[in-house]
Amino acid sequence: MHYPWWYVPYSTGPMLIALVAVVHVLVSHYAVGGGLFLAVETAFAYRKQHRDYLAYLRRHARFFILLTVVFGAITGVAIWWTIGLASPLATEVLIRTFVFGWAMEWVFFVIEIASAFIFYYWWGRLPERTHVRIGWIYALAAWISLVLITGITAFMLNPGDWPGNRTFWVGFFNPQFIPQVVARTGGALLLASLYVYLHASLSIKDERLRELVSRRSIRPSLAGAVMITAGGAGWYVFLPPSAIAVLPSAAVLNVFMGLIVAMTAVVFAALYFGPYRNPSWLSPGFAAMMLIFGFGAVSIGEFIREAVRKPYVVYNVVLGNQILPEEMPRLAESGVLAGGTWTRAFVTDRYPELIRDDRLDLDRLAALHHADRVALGEVLFQYQCNDCHAAANGYSAVGPLVRGRSPREIQRLILDFRNTHFYMPPWAGTPEEAGLLADYLRAIAPDNPEGMFLGGNAREDDR
Amino acid sequence: MNPQMLVDSASTVPLPAPWWFVEFFKVLGFTLHLAPMHLWFAGLLVAMMLRAGGGLHARTFSRRFAKQMPVLVAFGVNFGIVPLLFLQLAYYQFFYPATILMAWFWIAIVAILIPAYYGVYLYAFGLRDDDPAGPSAFRRWIGWGSAVMFIVIGFLFVNGLSLTSSVDAWPAVWKDHQVAGAATGTGLAAFYVPMVWPRWLMMFGLALETTAAWIVLDAAWFARRETDDYRRWAGRFAFGLAVVGAAWFAAAGSWYVFGTWPGPVRETMFAWPAMILTAITALSPGLPVVLLAMLTQRGFSRTAATIVAATQFGVLAINAVSRQVVQNLEIGKFTDLAGQTADIQWSPLILFLVIFALGAVVILWMVAQVVKAARST
Ligand code: HEC
Ligand code: HEM
Repeated sequence: MHYPWWYVPYSTGPMLIALVAVVHVLVSHYAVGGGLFLAVETAFAYRKQHRDYLAYLRRHARFFILLTVVFGAITGVAIWWTIGLASPLATEVLIRTFVFGWAMEWVFFVIEIASAFIFYYWWGRLPERTHVRIGWIYALAAWISLVLITGITAFMLNPGDWPGNRTFWVGFFNPQFIPQVVARTGGALLLASLYVYLHASLSIKDERLRELVSRRSIRPSLAGAVMITAGGAGWYVFLPPSAIAVLPSAAVLNVFMGLIVAMTAVVFAALYFGPYRNPSWLSPGFAAMMLIFGFGAVSIGEFIREAVRKPYVVYNVVLGNQILPEEMPRLAESGVLAGGTWTRAFVTDRYPELIRDDRLDLDRLAALHHADRVALGEVLFQYQCNDCHAAANGYSAVGPLVRGRSPREIQRLILDFRNTHFYMPPWAGTPEEAGLLADYLRAIAPDNPEGMFLGGNAREDDR
Repeated sequence: MNPQMLVDSASTVPLPAPWWFVEFFKVLGFTLHLAPMHLWFAGLLVAMMLRAGGGLHARTFSRRFAKQMPVLVAFGVNFGIVPLLFLQLAYYQFFYPATILMAWFWIAIVAILIPAYYGVYLYAFGLRDDDPAGPSAFRRWIGWGSAVMFIVIGFLFVNGLSLTSSVDAWPAVWKDHQVAGAATGTGLAAFYVPMVWPRWLMMFGLALETTAAWIVLDAAWFARRETDDYRRWAGRFAFGLAVVGAAWFAAAGSWYVFGTWPGPVRETMFAWPAMILTAITALSPGLPVVLLAMLTQRGFSRTAATIVAATQFGVLAINAVSRQVVQNLEIGKFTDLAGQTADIQWSPLILFLVIFALGAVVILWMVAQVVKAARST
């Protein structure tokens, strides 16, 4: 439409965003919570003059830098890369709305990097008080960057009053802002503790020191779990109604909601019976198990957070298929093929006779050969459906979803999305275009599997 | 196909900052990105070559440099975020389509960056001051691998930015790399936009010169443990490297300007008043060479090294400004960049500037602590 659509076979482009985002989140939360851990614990170890603990913290700081400054930072950059490629219109709208939020976040990134390097490379060479202060500067800068980015990601789920009053602050302090800051801060505390447990269990030989680590980190981790739960409840309360309705309407999300509760419960129980009641239990296997469950819960949470926005990418502002809701009337008039920048260029190049006075010529459309109808239908599929559906095979492939339906039935289904499938963008083009798309979908729909005995003759449909 | 057809209409969200503000931060950010980026783009390769075939001092430099590399990459990547942000803010109609047309190559940047970056750490961790044998063969391979990967990443960047400003090439790339009108993301700009090659080479030449400036700056300020003899070597080597870099820049730059600039761009850039900018950009890389020659003649001093480095930074800034002017000319053919409707978000803008200033204070405070500690040990 506005931008060329990037066709990624099997997975769809937006799934790449989800993949990169989930991987990034698992490290970036540690980048926040781990900074707090290092600041608090280094201060504690200095106060007690606990040499062994200090030596451990220094090793931990090295691991922390290697993971967060490289992998954490570059996967964060990778999110930028993928959203620009797979969701360009939404990215354009977000950047033009929140550029100063990102610019401020960048300042805190610079502070984070500088303080992290100084904290680690100048370990033992700075006065203790200064060293701890630099640790705190890191922790604070990292947390503020979390707050800043959360304002923007929360906006995508519920922009509140922004559509009527398009100012930065109305968008930033949206209804989802506080719940998500609470949940993410909790996630940072919990994940950081789980990272610490795994790292400590692998690298500390001395039992007493390991128990100390175990005990010291239990309270932040439990507090983190509580904050995730509280923030999650707030998240649910401030969801827009359509998002609440999406939750039960997609089977996979139901399963995920169940899983997330189960995984959180496992982590909670493990923390309670492990580090809390029996600090000496901290074996590598036990710590790895907790971290894996923590990863599972956070990844699924992140996935659901993304998924419930359907049919939007930015709720009420940008639809999943890179169309602005206010463009719908214009597109219904001109047709998508004649109304989108790249679709129009495509048609003008291949079927110049089809466009007259900036709209589709319906008579000439009706005279097209079947193969051309399918070819144009595929263009419509790319620009209208491929955000959420692969074609014949792959993620939520649309071919099998229309199995056994006639082109007319498919056309009617598409035109009726507005009434029957609110989680998909309503059909943006003309009814005739829906007919083209239906021909294409019919062409890629599979037949019923063979070899099924059903006790009688299969229905002969009107293919 | 008329390429203008592929340029989307203006955004429904107005520009939230004044135009000069966008341009200022884009150029400032790019200059800050260039300085460290040059050190890994060309410098790392130089360091690997010196380690393989250089004498005692050359190896000393190579070791020092490789150890600084992780920090340089961290800041260089970070500074890249600023121009990227403002590029997307104001040039979105051009940047997104161009990168989507070459999506897999564009995204390869981050996929390559992660191993290249870890490679730098692995190599640097293998270096010991007192170890004559140097890093193991395995780590040396890693070091070479990173150097090559950074050069490849630089090539991909040049592809992305050249295609961003070469709208005329879009129809051909799109035609060759699509499924039903959707881009497959497999069109590499270098096959469609001739300016990619000289632009890449030109950047490499300039990067050699930046590396030369860094060599003397490092020798002057951070190499207290090294001998005076090392500093003399650093001055001489830097001079030689800067000569090669400047000559390389001149050759590739001529190819770029005379061989690949679109006619109208060349006409404007060779006419008054842009001519002055063109001339300064072309000649300025000679200045650090002259200064380095003086430094080797008159003896190595901190002041001299600092002047060389500051001058090279100025060269980079001039380069960034010219690049911006040319980019605006190329893109200005298709849209009125400076005439975008604006609705300035004053309070976030001012808050950003305040935070920017406070952030600088915090960083200076931290650096001061480090300097104080360094003096007392
Ligand atoms: C914003 C994302 C999104 C877009 C865009 C989208 N869909 Fe869907 N679609 C979904 C989801 C989610 C489901 C439910 C799938 C599930 O439960 O597994 C679905 C289900 C369907 C179904 C099955 C419906 C049923 O009741 O049997 C069909 C058919 C379908 N989509 C076709 C399309 C077509 C054709 C387009 C393009 C015009 C399209 N979709 C665009 C998200 C989307
Ligand atoms: C992932 C972090 C990075 C970001 C965000 C980034 C950002 C940018 C941006 C925005 C520009 C264009 C500036 C402009 O024209 O206004 C640029 C240019 C460039 N970058 Fe980076 N960069 C990054 C990493 C790298 C790396 C690792 C290299 C490797 C050498 C590199 C090499 C280059 C080169 C060669 C150019 C010039 C391209 C041209 O205009 O011809 N960058 N970078």
